[in-house]
Amino acid sequence: MPVKKILQETCILAALMILAVFVCSIIWSGVTAEIELVLLLFGLALIITVVNYLFDEFLTLSIIVSYITKYIVFTGIVMLMGFIAGWFYPSNFWMAFIYVGIVFALAYAIDAFRVRMDIRYINEHIRKNRVNLS
Amino acid sequence: MLIVSKKVEGKPLTVTIEYPEYTEPVKNLVSKIKSLDVSFNAVADGKQMKISISDVYYIENVDRRLFLYTQKDVYRLSASMTDIDEIARESDLVRISRNCVMNTSHLAEIRQLKNSHLEATLDNDEKLIVSRKYLHDIKRRF
Repeated sequence: MPVKKILQETCILAALMILAVFVCSIIWSGVTAEIELVLLLFGLALIITVVNYLFDEFLTLSIIVSYITKYIVFTGIVMLMGFIAGWFYPSNFWMAFIYVGIVFALAYAIDAFRVRMDIRYINEHIRKNRVNLS
Repeated sequence: MLIVSKKVEGKPLTVTIEYPEYTEPVKNLVSKIKSLDVSFNAVADGKQMKISISDVYYIENVDRRLFLYTQKDVYRLSASMTDIDEIARESDLVRISRNCVMNTSHLAEIRQLKNSHLEATLDNDEKLIVSRKYLHDIKRRF
């Protein structure tokens, strides 16, 4: 079984376990502070995913400009959500830049690696198909 | 793979595929053959003609008008991008940006440019810009 598949199934299983624990906790103890935090993070992830989709669908920017724009917009969303949910105070709101920055650095590295691998895969298959045809 | 072709008079062109197991390559082969039977009603110089999908290099949406590009010619298509997406599911056509659908059977190479944009080169040396978002869809066609 390839590593990618194992990781994928681990994540799905972990998500199902978390979901099961959460459903039981909500039934027995109601929405606690921890559950509320996870639900808010879920909502935040949903908003960011939708905005990201709209960015990719309607804007054609170079990858650097795209990442800088997204970084600013997403940090703004996190800050707004943070102020509404009480995660940040006026004294530590700049923490949003660090949180979003870490996620972005990871996302950029994964995206750059994935694109390189996908291009290599496609070009190799084109070459193989040509060899088979000739 | 054994290829048998024989002339049978009085019957339409028939392709029979025999396989020990219905695997991904068999599925791809079936969809490839199906796609050869699809054609577009296109217009050029006021004349209507049928363009086989295998002759299509790419289809572009310019100001809500669809243009079909073959190796050397350009035709006007009276269809919507939704119709093209529908046909693309069963063929080698794949969306590469919001406004463009490319035929992967004419793809010669994909490369990343210095500004990180992606560029597809077709076998007629024409170059198209590929949105990173659709790269994975192209990969799935191979």
